[in-house]
Amino acid sequence: MKGEKKRFFQIFLVWTLLFCPVTAFAHVKGGEVIGLISGLKHPISGLDHVLAMIAVGLWGAQLGPPAIWLLPVTLPMVMALGGMLGLMGVPVPSIEIAIAVSAMVLGVMVLIEARPKLWLAVLIVASYAIYHGYAHGTELPPGGNGLLYSIGFVMMTGTLHATGILIGLIHRWLAGRMALRLAGACIAMAGVMFLWRAIL
Amino acid sequence: MRCFWLILLTGVFVLATGATAWAHESQPGTLELRQVSNDRYEVTWRAPIYFGQPHPARIELPGHWNTVVEPTMRLLPDSQVFRRIVTVGGQGVEGSIIRFPGLEHTITDIFVRLNRLDGTTMTAVARPSKPYAQLRGERTWSTTAVEYIGLGFHHILQGVDHLLFVLGLLLIVRGRMLLLKTITAFTIAHSITLAIATLGYAHAPLPPLNAAIALSILFLGPEIVRSWRGETSWTIRAPWVVAFLFGLLHGFGFASGLSTTGMPKAELPLALLFFNVGVELGQLVFVFTALSLVRSFKVLGVRWPRLVEALPGYTVGGLGAYWTIQRTVMLLGYLK
Amino acid sequence: MREISIIRISSFLTVASLILPGPASAHLVTTGMGPVYDGIGHLLLTPEDLVPALALALFAGLRGAVAGRRAMFLLPLAWIMGGVVGSKLNVTSAFPIPALSFLLLGGLIAADLYMPAAAFTLLSILVGLVHGFLNGVALNEGAGLLGLIGITTMLFILVTLVSASVVSLKRPWTRVAVRVAGSWIVATGMLMIGWAMR
Repeated sequence: MKGEKKRFFQIFLVWTLLFCPVTAFAHVKGGEVIGLISGLKHPISGLDHVLAMIAVGLWGAQLGPPAIWLLPVTLPMVMALGGMLGLMGVPVPSIEIAIAVSAMVLGVMVLIEARPKLWLAVLIVASYAIYHGYAHGTELPPGGNGLLYSIGFVMMTGTLHATGILIGLIHRWLAGRMALRLAGACIAMAGVMFLWRAIL
Repeated sequence: MRCFWLILLTGVFVLATGATAWAHESQPGTLELRQVSNDRYEVTWRAPIYFGQPHPARIELPGHWNTVVEPTMRLLPDSQVFRRIVTVGGQGVEGSIIRFPGLEHTITDIFVRLNRLDGTTMTAVARPSKPYAQLRGERTWSTTAVEYIGLGFHHILQGVDHLLFVLGLLLIVRGRMLLLKTITAFTIAHSITLAIATLGYAHAPLPPLNAAIALSILFLGPEIVRSWRGETSWTIRAPWVVAFLFGLLHGFGFASGLSTTGMPKAELPLALLFFNVGVELGQLVFVFTALSLVRSFKVLGVRWPRLVEALPGYTVGGLGAYWTIQRTVMLLGYLK
Repeated sequence: MREISIIRISSFLTVASLILPGPASAHLVTTGMGPVYDGIGHLLLTPEDLVPALALALFAGLRGAVAGRRAMFLLPLAWIMGGVVGSKLNVTSAFPIPALSFLLLGGLIAADLYMPAAAFTLLSILVGLVHGFLNGVALNEGAGLLGLIGITTMLFILVTLVSASVVSLKRPWTRVAVRVAGSWIVATGMLMIGWAMR
């Protein structure tokens, strides 16, 4: 009874909270909606970004706690740092190659189920995140609202990461572990392809 | 006795702060364009009386329309009616935009209806957030749906008297099942009378209706006090019956917000349906927010002073009493 | 107990009716439902103010029921005071001040930082004053004082609901989810600074 009551309450809350912002955002002026929507769309428009983001989630799930929750907390901030550098016009060399390499490296990490020290894992993910933020965080279409674009961008990137973690939860079964490694191999191969394209 | 004085005080307070502005008496305006010959239209603009004053909104016809018969004004008890004849020139009325400057700062909706010689009609709604209407061809049903859901939603959230009645029910009802039954009964009842009134089978004149609605709120006041004291009564045991009976009244009240003048008959059921959906949505938002807030206060361990805890109950009783008196006076004036 | 809870239902019901802007609102501020609703619409449609308020509520929820109670009363109170001052002045700043709130509050959430009660009180008042002030300036030509009252009411409801729902979270991963939301807020704040410096 007690638990049922609580669930009832939580449904209330979720319902109310969801309802408010949705109705609100649905009616922002045209240009601003474009900002939010393009921010939401942007992270899923490039395969390299999607794959790398999911790879981080998979790897985090393989590593288990504390990495599984430390990475989602730190990653958006580091990525935004990259985006901020990009917006400020700070030059960062050879972005295309770095992104391709990052997809490759992360794919390999998932493939071999690497278990480096926590700080090293965070460092690897962070260095890749800066490049991705730099490349993607700044591409606002003309007429859009920068803040809403940023919110959309951050939200969708986080969702991709969460998707990776959710998929990674199959790690608890043996077959799941194999499947994850296979996925890592695919991502690493895609990374090689991106690198090939970037260099040519 | 103490309760009586508090109610009286609340009534006076409300009177002083002019809460009447929120009372639910805003009537929509209407604009009718009737084609009399090929390029000649009769324009009838009915501006409702707005809180005792002539309505602040003006009508601004498109620049290329020429007035051939100057406007005449007729004063009715609840509105001013302006009538004139215009010629619209060779390009016709399609696409023309009629503006209502001054509507932005009001809470009035204006229904626009165009009757052509060939028997076809067209309707549009101008509202404070969109103080103009464009004359155009047929609309898709989804446009109508969104428009009337919005209208119903606005109507309930601005109708403090309806919300106050729901609040009174929430204060009396104990237990989730009973709450569900009560809210459902209220919903079914007001849907029935809303439909009856809108489809034209019955009609409730506004002044007695308003008085009756006020009385329904006042009725809940003593019941709330009774439930505070732990006493029971027929209403407390079976609140859904009360909700149903008074819900029938409130449905007529909702119908006043859905003016069907200038609406094609075919559009009526659809408009009715979506207006009702909007009303229910608004009501649900209100109930859900209220219940979530109460749960949240409990989770956060908020301890309200006794006076604050009693405030909502006294608001229901006090405002109910005040409105009952005010509207009865208005009713007497109307009967004279 | 039950009775008291039901009485509490009502405590802010009257104001709860003000929760949403009308779906038909086409303009950013004008909802067509009067200045109170316009203020509510303004708050819900302005992420610069909405996000810090939500962030404070999230942080209060992480800190527990006592902090939640403080935030739900202090933030709206400070907000309306700042708003009254702001509506008298006309100051604009090139630097995005809200971005600092994003960074500060988001960082506190992401770190799940312990904070003494006095410091939290100060934080609530500060956030309320600053954003209320900015709101007041923005509402100068719009909804005015009534709009401010709408905003304050809405803030009270939002902070109460959000902090209570965070307080009621028991499972570890749900608290992590709140911290992740905090890091998203920091990220957005950083990008805001970046946009301003572009």
